[in-house]
Amino acid sequence: MITVTINGKEVRLEKPITIFEAAEMHGIKIPHFCYHPLLEKWGGCRMCLVEVEKMPKLQTSCTLYVTDGMVVKTESEEISKARKAMLEFLLINHPLDCPFCDKAGECDLQNSTTLYGASAGRFEEGKRRHPENINDPLIVRNMERCISCTRCVRMCDGVQGASAISMVNRSNKTFVEPFSGGRYNCEYCGNCLTVCPVGAIMSRLHRHAYRPWQMEEEVKTVCAYCGVGCSFVLQVRENNIVRIMPKPEVGINKGILCAKGYFGYGYIQSSKRLTSPLIKRGWKLEPTTWDEALTIVANRLTEIKKKFGGESIGGIASARCTNEDNYVFQKFVRACLGSNNIDSIVRTGFAVAQRYIEDVIGQGATANIISGIPHSEGIIVIGGDPTHINPVLGVQVREAFRRGAKVFAIGYNPGLERHRTHNISYYPFTESTLLSYLVSKLATIKELSGENKSFESKINNFKGATLKDVEKVCRINGSDLNRIIKELSSISSVSLIIGPDIVQRTDVRTNLFLLTAIAYMLNARIYLLAEKPNEQGVIDMGCLPDTLPGGRPLDIESFRKRDEELWGYEIPPKPGLTVFEMIEGANSGSLKALYIMGGNPLYNLPDNAFVKSSIQNLEFLVVQDIFLSETAEIADVVLPSLGWVEKEGTYTNLERRIQRLRKSLDRQGMEDWRILSEIGKKMGFKIQYDSSLDIMKEISTVSPLHSGLTYDDLDKGLDVWPYKGTPLRHKLGAGDWPLTKSWSPSGKEKLYLTIEKHMFLSGTMSRYSTALNSIYQEPCAKINNDVAERSGVKDGEMVTIKTEKAQIILPIKIDRNIPDFTVLLTNNFIEKGAMGLIPYKIDPITKTPAIDGCEIKILKREYE
Amino acid sequence: MERVLLKNIDNRNSADISEYEKIGGYSSLRKALGIQPKDIIEEVKKSGLRGRGGAGFPTGMKWAFAAADPKFPKYLLCNADEGEPGTFKDRPILEKNPHLLIEGMVISAYALGAEYSYIYLRGEYPSAKDILNKAISQAVKKGYLGNNILGKGFKLHLSVHQGAGAYICGEETALIESLEGFRGQPRIKPPFPVNVGAWNMPTVINNVETLSNIPYILQAGGDVYSKIGSKDCPGPKLYCISGHVKRPGVYELPMGTILREIIYTHAGGIKGGKKLKAVIPGGISTPVLPADQIDCPMDFISMSKSGSMLGSGAIIVMDESVCMVKVLYRAMKFFEHESCGKCTPCREGTGWLSSIIGRIENGKGKKEDIELLSDVAGNISGKTFCPLGDGAATVSMSMIKHFRDEFEEHIKGGCKYKILHNVIPA
Amino acid sequence: MFSKSAIKEIEEIRAKYPDSRSALLPALYIAQREYGWLTPEAMESVASALNIPSAIVKGVSTFYAMFKHKQMGRHLIQLCTNISCMILGAETLVDFLKNKYGLEEGGITPNGRFSLVIMECIGGCDVAPVMLVDNDFYGNLTEEKIENILGRYQ
Ligand SMILES: Cc1cc2nc3c(=O)[nH]c(=O)nc-3n(C[C@H](O)[C@H](O)[C@H](O)COP(=O)(O)O)c2cc1C
Ligand code: SF4
Ligand code: FES
Repeated sequence: MITVTINGKEVRLEKPITIFEAAEMHGIKIPHFCYHPLLEKWGGCRMCLVEVEKMPKLQTSCTLYVTDGMVVKTESEEISKARKAMLEFLLINHPLDCPFCDKAGECDLQNSTTLYGASAGRFEEGKRRHPENINDPLIVRNMERCISCTRCVRMCDGVQGASAISMVNRSNKTFVEPFSGGRYNCEYCGNCLTVCPVGAIMSRLHRHAYRPWQMEEEVKTVCAYCGVGCSFVLQVRENNIVRIMPKPEVGINKGILCAKGYFGYGYIQSSKRLTSPLIKRGWKLEPTTWDEALTIVANRLTEIKKKFGGESIGGIASARCTNEDNYVFQKFVRACLGSNNIDSIVRTGFAVAQRYIEDVIGQGATANIISGIPHSEGIIVIGGDPTHINPVLGVQVREAFRRGAKVFAIGYNPGLERHRTHNISYYPFTESTLLSYLVSKLATIKELSGENKSFESKINNFKGATLKDVEKVCRINGSDLNRIIKELSSISSVSLIIGPDIVQRTDVRTNLFLLTAIAYMLNARIYLLAEKPNEQGVIDMGCLPDTLPGGRPLDIESFRKRDEELWGYEIPPKPGLTVFEMIEGANSGSLKALYIMGGNPLYNLPDNAFVKSSIQNLEFLVVQDIFLSETAEIADVVLPSLGWVEKEGTYTNLERRIQRLRKSLDRQGMEDWRILSEIGKKMGFKIQYDSSLDIMKEISTVSPLHSGLTYDDLDKGLDVWPYKGTPLRHKLGAGDWPLTKSWSPSGKEKLYLTIEKHMFLSGTMSRYSTALNSIYQEPCAKINNDVAERSGVKDGEMVTIKTEKAQIILPIKIDRNIPDFTVLLTNNFIEKGAMGLIPYKIDPITKTPAIDGCEIKILKREYE
Repeated sequence: MERVLLKNIDNRNSADISEYEKIGGYSSLRKALGIQPKDIIEEVKKSGLRGRGGAGFPTGMKWAFAAADPKFPKYLLCNADEGEPGTFKDRPILEKNPHLLIEGMVISAYALGAEYSYIYLRGEYPSAKDILNKAISQAVKKGYLGNNILGKGFKLHLSVHQGAGAYICGEETALIESLEGFRGQPRIKPPFPVNVGAWNMPTVINNVETLSNIPYILQAGGDVYSKIGSKDCPGPKLYCISGHVKRPGVYELPMGTILREIIYTHAGGIKGGKKLKAVIPGGISTPVLPADQIDCPMDFISMSKSGSMLGSGAIIVMDESVCMVKVLYRAMKFFEHESCGKCTPCREGTGWLSSIIGRIENGKGKKEDIELLSDVAGNISGKTFCPLGDGAATVSMSMIKHFRDEFEEHIKGGCKYKILHNVIPA
Repeated sequence: MFSKSAIKEIEEIRAKYPDSRSALLPALYIAQREYGWLTPEAMESVASALNIPSAIVKGVSTFYAMFKHKQMGRHLIQLCTNISCMILGAETLVDFLKNKYGLEEGGITPNGRFSLVIMECIGGCDVAPVMLVDNDFYGNLTEEKIENILGRYQ
């Protein structure tokens, strides 16, 4: 116990913290510039000087740790004089342009100056000149205003790990610059902007567009881009988002954001938003009234149900919609349409991985807190780059690395290029061979816990590839691999981060067995990356063909009966179709109608042409969306819904935390759930709600997992698994999916297509963000120098990219870090999506698509 | 006094290992390797040796702190940045007696249990770099460095790390930052380098001259050493004297030699029959002394009692032809140029001070400028991150204290000395 | 990109330190030697050789006065004007270099032969005024002496 006296008040502390922090804890404010709670201590601005008894000089409170018996004064005449002096020093080179500066009103320098009454009137020589730099599309740099607190640089280097800006020069010639001196070549996380205490680095998105005091509304909400679920405050004026303000004190992200979160909000205000319902007349979609559109949907669905039965209708739920939307959607499909044909794109990754892992380790096995990652001693990353798929989670991996964790990066993880201890790269798509060896080897080293005996016997009986196989198939040096495995086996606190790519493989079941075995043997915390904000919610709300809300299996009658009773409607007993089965059903004609809420399968599922022709085969297609997506374009009825900041509701993030979205903009239109209940009403069902609150109330009675949960509970912090609910307790399974085995080397070397998941891109949403488009301007085919050489193409050259399914024309971009035998393509830009090029096969058990091994050709276009 | 540090220096081949061995070189190392490391530290403590880099911290104590830290590996760094203007005392050791330094470093590393060691050499000494590298490879060949030193199983790898023109990198934590490949800005203390230093490991940083005392201490014993020179800061000291004296150069004299004696006896007095005006006794970060205050012993304690500092022992002698405003202006330009930019008062304050002094020197000063100068210096003083900024403030205050009339005369009638334009680094 | 021998040299230096970042200053010296000055390409070469972000390389290199970020002459004259040199006439030598060779502080002669950099103390105060020409040290300078010395650098 440490006792310190601050301004005459005794303060007791458990462990030594800085004087600054101790004072702050007790409500004493100390002015400061370079200190920031997220950043490494710096002690440079000298603004936080305080008096400490027995110390001859003033001390910087932000760097000095308290010791027992210390006596501190944070205000005195001497201190005031010193702070005034520091302000005077800062002002001699700071322009007095507050009237034009966007920061005015919330500038730390301006505020302190008012407080201490300092001025720079005694300085007569000219101030430093440094013209404002607007060479970057998103960030404006005004280095005349920079006070060299280095917060932005410490953020970029020490927290974000992008290291894209630096202080250059020294002495009073110091300022901040990206390498180019103009445009940033960075991750555009915007975190430097967040921490700048003055108007030196600011966003261009709202330049000269506001004064802080004119903001009409501030709403705390969560980001709708990915499964991390970062919080921030939205500032709104005249029913428009003016800017996004991350706050260190709120949310799991503690003020850290990524490019999409910080700059990508513009899509919601896009002029391309759908504003009225559309119906197909002849070949054309035409605007119509809500009433007509809803009536048509209700009538057509009723007809089809009557004629072909509920099982001829399907619904595709959305991980971009809220829990409330998805809950109502599955209820609508089950109760109104009489069908269990409900699934979503979550099938292609998250849902299947979670299903397997929970079977073996138990429900909730993936509900691990993101902020725990930095405390790991070892981190295994596989199946996708966390920095690109879930950027703010990726930052935690980097933090762990900085703290000394071993980071085993398996596969292509460009975001970990400087934050990994081991980089394990292999011949494309051979991870099952690699992992099989790893598991066999680990099994000889690790003692098993005995918790799941049947799974253990499966591990013990498993025969993986031999080291020779691995060397041949994966093209990895065997002794290196053995060394890595040995290191891995000796680490006690491991996090296993699994990306969605590992599911989209021919060996999906083997991969999941192997990863689960690794997690089991190393007792690792598992994190499943989630590209979309509510993948977990889709599962928990029961948007699966065989699962009811709360993760209760449909085929257990008591569960079904209970929900039927609560709903007052029947639930068909037979599990329904998965997403790909619905597409196939449409193709074969057994599925007649499809209702798609917030999704674009025609673009996001592989083999676009097949998906399109199948969907076109339907008798009736309804698409509910905020944009006219490729899928919406061929719908019979398109219903515009409200987006992220236009409605209330909740998302469940990848660590299974439920967080609230808050309505901050008023838009005409209806929430997804409201549209559904309107249609239900027209079909003669009572699934009416007044608000999302109502729905949450119902969820908390129907789903045992969410039992008794209210929005208030969430606000109070009861937002993490298992809330107040009852997780499903069942016997641990042995993970009994039959395994595939394919560890033999492929014949001749080929070139394969791999999808690039980039942190600036996010399917259909980021297309409509001008900001994001300005930093990832056009699609391209990325290859390394070797591939370029073998294909005889140059950087920037336009080429034809061809697979057995389709071809597109793209410019080449050469990047030496891209794995060999690989062409990276994005799936984001209109008519240039990579998914359209890929054939797929459905795994008969998991029903996931295998999109590995898609051969690709780069053709020169010299004859055109 | 027998020369300890500059022994053999007049021999043209003094830098060669065989010449060094001829005069008994590396025999201290042989002796040291037969003694327990902790006994060596005891001996250094007994000697009373204080660091020669400027701060005068007891060397034995510093070593004991680092040795007591259980973390491993530990590092020994030699501070050969010698950046304090007026200082050139380490240079003869580096260029003419490199094996003395190497021997001192091997013994020190053995005492500390360090296996890797670096000499941080200022970029402005390119020839010293070649000489040191050659000396190191000679020492490796002879088994004084390497994996099994003199067959005693002790291992030490020594390399030269070249700085690149930044005075602040002489400050020990900035030196570490620079060695590690960062901008050379000082680190927060505590933790001190003895616990968290290079690559976050316990690290001892000593000046070239400090380390060069070690072989003698081992050879003669701490007791004998402690009897040389001043009682509280014993040992031989290298004084480097420059400016308007007849025989500028480096003099090895007992610590505590009177400043006047150094100037008049050793350096031959003032050149060209002119009158002495002022002396900067320890490099330009130390307060200036007027001609009538040079009767103090040149050691750490006595100098601080006399209102200045021993600093690096760099004595700059100025005769009556020198304009003190101009000297301060040039000094301040140095501080402005060398401020690392980390802390506000030094970064902004040194620039402001030099613009005030500049206008006084250039005949544009105003009556209030002297007060302003003192006030700004006062606002810097005691508030900077490291001693560099503080030095700039103290030097200004000492100049105003002792030569106020000259500042006032400038304001009234401009500079009456031979006016030259001012040339300073960009 | 660096020549093979420069890469090898950097690798060797790197082995002397516990981490690769510590080889940054030595690598910058090599880059400066290879490229003449730290062009953006030179800095990027260092960045990729040591896997250090290029912005960091720029930040570090601009901190140090001896790393050059613009074209320099074939020979670099580094003349000290700090106090010991100043009071012994260094400033007249600056004038001399200006009048005789057209050299300004930081500038370059039209034929690209010399550049002049004004230095802080370079540790030659006993023989002030002093200068370095490339890696060679010269003291007790006078105008004639400078003229003589520079004649040797073409
Ligand atoms: C601004 C500044 C510059 C310094 N420059 C040097 C230097 O050039 N050489 C040196 O040995 N010590 C220098 N020092 C002192 C070092 O910080 C440190 O005290 C010294 O290297 C310790 O060695 P010692 O104990 O042997 O003196 C400097 C200190 C400061 C604050
Ligand atoms: S006093 Fe401050 S700015 Fe000056 S050198 Fe020290 S830390 Fe850097
Ligand atoms: S906040 Fe403490 S020095 Fe800047």
